[in-house]
Amino acid sequence: MPLTYAAFPFLSTILLACVAGLLIILFLPAEREREIKWVSAVCSGITLAISLFLFIAYDQDLGGYQFVERIDWVPSMGITYFNGVDGFGLPMLLLTGIVFFTGVLTMWEMTLRVKEFFALIFLLVTGVFGMFMALDLFFIFVWYDVSLFPMYLLIAVWGSTRKEYAAMKLTLYLLAGSALILPGIIYLVINAGLNTFDLLALSEPGLFTPGQQRFAFLLFYIGFGILAGVWPFHTWSPVGHVAAPTAVSMIHAGVLMKIGAFGVLRLGMTLCPLGWQYWAPLMAFLATVGIVYGAFVGLSQTDVKYVIGYSSVSHMGIVGLGLATVSVDGLNGAVFQMFAHGLMTALFFSSLGYIYDKTHTKTIADLGGMLKTMPVATGYFIVAALTGIGVPCLASFWAELMVFISAFKVYPIYGTLAICALAVTALFILRVVQKVCYGPEQERFAGLPDVSLGLGAPRIILVSVIVIFGLFPSLMFDMIQTATIPFLDRLP
Amino acid sequence: MNAMIFAPELYALCMSAVFFGFTLTRPNSRRDFLMALTFAAVGIGVCLTAIPASGDLFRGAYRVDLFSQVFKTLLFMGLFLVICLCSELKGIEERLHSEFYLLLTICTLSMMMLVSSVHLLTLYLALELSSYSLYILVFLRKREDYGVDAGVKYFLIGATASAVMLFGFALIYGAVQTAYLGELLRILPTVLDQPLVIFGLLLTLSGFLFKLAVFPFHFWAPDVYEGAPNQVTAYIASASKVGAIAVLLRLVSLTGGNSEYLAHALAILAIITMTVGNLSAMVQKDLKRLLAYSSVAQAGYILLGILSMNPAGYTSVVFYAAALLLMKFTCFMVVVKVADDGRNLSVDGLAGLHKRSPILAMALMLSLFGLAGIPPTIGFTGKLLIFTAAIEKGYFVLVLIAMINVVISLYYYLLVIKAAYLTEPKEALPDLAISPPVKALAGGLVAAMVVVGIFPTYVIAVARAVARLLLA
Repeated sequence: MPLTYAAFPFLSTILLACVAGLLIILFLPAEREREIKWVSAVCSGITLAISLFLFIAYDQDLGGYQFVERIDWVPSMGITYFNGVDGFGLPMLLLTGIVFFTGVLTMWEMTLRVKEFFALIFLLVTGVFGMFMALDLFFIFVWYDVSLFPMYLLIAVWGSTRKEYAAMKLTLYLLAGSALILPGIIYLVINAGLNTFDLLALSEPGLFTPGQQRFAFLLFYIGFGILAGVWPFHTWSPVGHVAAPTAVSMIHAGVLMKIGAFGVLRLGMTLCPLGWQYWAPLMAFLATVGIVYGAFVGLSQTDVKYVIGYSSVSHMGIVGLGLATVSVDGLNGAVFQMFAHGLMTALFFSSLGYIYDKTHTKTIADLGGMLKTMPVATGYFIVAALTGIGVPCLASFWAELMVFISAFKVYPIYGTLAICALAVTALFILRVVQKVCYGPEQERFAGLPDVSLGLGAPRIILVSVIVIFGLFPSLMFDMIQTATIPFLDRLP
Repeated sequence: MNAMIFAPELYALCMSAVFFGFTLTRPNSRRDFLMALTFAAVGIGVCLTAIPASGDLFRGAYRVDLFSQVFKTLLFMGLFLVICLCSELKGIEERLHSEFYLLLTICTLSMMMLVSSVHLLTLYLALELSSYSLYILVFLRKREDYGVDAGVKYFLIGATASAVMLFGFALIYGAVQTAYLGELLRILPTVLDQPLVIFGLLLTLSGFLFKLAVFPFHFWAPDVYEGAPNQVTAYIASASKVGAIAVLLRLVSLTGGNSEYLAHALAILAIITMTVGNLSAMVQKDLKRLLAYSSVAQAGYILLGILSMNPAGYTSVVFYAAALLLMKFTCFMVVVKVADDGRNLSVDGLAGLHKRSPILAMALMLSLFGLAGIPPTIGFTGKLLIFTAAIEKGYFVLVLIAMINVVISLYYYLLVIKAAYLTEPKEALPDLAISPPVKALAGGLVAAMVVVGIFPTYVIAVARAVARLLLA
């Protein structure tokens, strides 16, 4: 894979923007809420701008890792500060930028412990960005954990519905995942005997025996799979989504779960390709169970956020199924689905967050006729729902299409099951839309203000990105393809 | 005798002489505190300048080398940090303040001698001296019902452990006819297949396992932590652990790294220690008891590094000793400052800390995350080093068990963090009056934990150089 070093450290600038935002917020007095929010918006805007720029500036003909930065960090242990992005990393960076920026805007009206909230969000997002760009196993793990532990306080302080239970469960589950990942990383580093944590050096074919690869892949798959919501390790996820405050749900479902899938891709599949091929049938099985299970459990929920939570389990199953096909189309679809699902859930939670803030309920039975009460806010919700169903011209349609086409080739039975489950997903999402948005207008919600243009800005951004990539999916596929084709060519 | 290479010990001796003088005068706690602070600060400087020193003293019974000097510096830093917390010694009667500093200094002095001892007898003497000063320090608690209870328990278990250790010394001496560690290093690896030697070595180690609160010698820890004055607990949890770790390293390295029996025995102890520590900590209501059990668990992780018996393992333990000093001290700084009248602090007593003193809450959160081994803190880097060393030796399962323990430990650390950040006090409590120097200290500790965690190169280099001496 060609490495192209960056003339300017764009990737580090993204991290620096996050750290700078964090430090500025820490040193601002807690009463200056306006300033804190502006600092957050500006810094997150910078990260979005840079990630968008990188997405456009990436040379697709050249491929490989670009904008690479490399500094020796702890030479005696072979740790390097090594960043670079390829066709897998860039969509994720862009997604993080979008969700981060829109998440900050969504929380514009919050008043409770503003300073700490934004400081923790910045810490979390620093970890997420770092994870998507790091090419050194040490840093990948560090960023991974940095992105997890702020979640505890974010949910426990600002959340709702059984928040302390959810926060504890989520944190313990996710860190149990890292309890498998860290030994896995050390195991590979030691067995390679190269005294390096460099991902590219360790992914040279033939470095690990098939047995080692199978073992390490399993560690990575379960470890990261917990975060990706792989059935049966998903139980933290709906509870966590429901309890988290809006912006955290957005970042959590939108970006954080992608870290899990990305980790499987970046660590498991890159370092242990033989292990990946060996365990692919298991991945496909668990993914299909997740898709079907998520769909049916979602059917019986009474809380809108739970519905979205279980639909996430189902949709992340599609990512897993795509990865399990070991094919270009499947991988393309999986990465695209990560991107599309991130945008979709962000929009879902963002629009629902507004409705919840005004009506103070997210129980399906209590809501109704919202389209008459607040037509614009509900409109965003419906767009999100349509994306979730996979309506053509919206981003996730293409992703799901690609995954299912390749799944049919490799796993016909699983593919069929998954598509049937998708119909069930469509059913329960439409049912929610019908109950929440249509029907007679509720008296007690009459007169609630609809979302203003300014407050609607984050949703407008999300909707437009979903539509753009839905209309021009090649924008994304061409990018992902620069990584998938060489990736599969390397396979023995 | 070259006085220069003995300078740190001589300095500590002078310091204790001064405080002995103070005990004869009218009590004046302000004077004592300022003197102690100045002395300790200068002492760190003395230790630092003495780092390059090396040589043998007292007919080869006392060795000064990089290993001992680095640990002496750590010990003096620990003393300095603990003295920083003593501006208001509410837990101890005022007339005893000079004695408190005197004993603290003597204890540090004896532990400095401990890390330099290379003869079984000097080792024993130094260890007993430090233990006896600690026994008395625990007794100093103003509320006698706490202090006496804890002190007696500490004394009884400690005396038993040192008797066992002495027996171990006798066995080893009987088997190899020498008490010099240097010669033991040469002879022991050749006779390690004798049950007598292994047994003697294990008994010997038990004295230090007691100090480190390793199962089955950990029962004193929660009671002593709870009963001792908060500052003394801080000292026991931070500086005294560093001394114990240093001696354990010295002793275990004597086997030359190829004793299967010893490694297996230590592995079993490590697993039980960390599991018992973590499981017991989950149900604690008193913060000091909780931290005591967390210390027990930490001792288990440290054993994991020691039993790897390879250069990477020794490096990791040296690094972790420094990390533990910082993290544990930070926790106890919060305990001392929040329990401003010297009382014991329950976990619920932290309620509203994020409002009462944001900097202390942050320091507490970071140190707890460090103890749980979450990046980017010094504790994570330390654990990474330990686990790398253990996997290098093939102890993959041990590491997996340790990681599971880490997840368990996270549960109770999160409960503490929840108390500090989430729980609101039942009645509104005033903001804590934290003086600027303490704020600076807390900020400095936070910075140190994060910076060394992210950029550990230099500390690792020092630890590596220290570890190399053990195998020479």
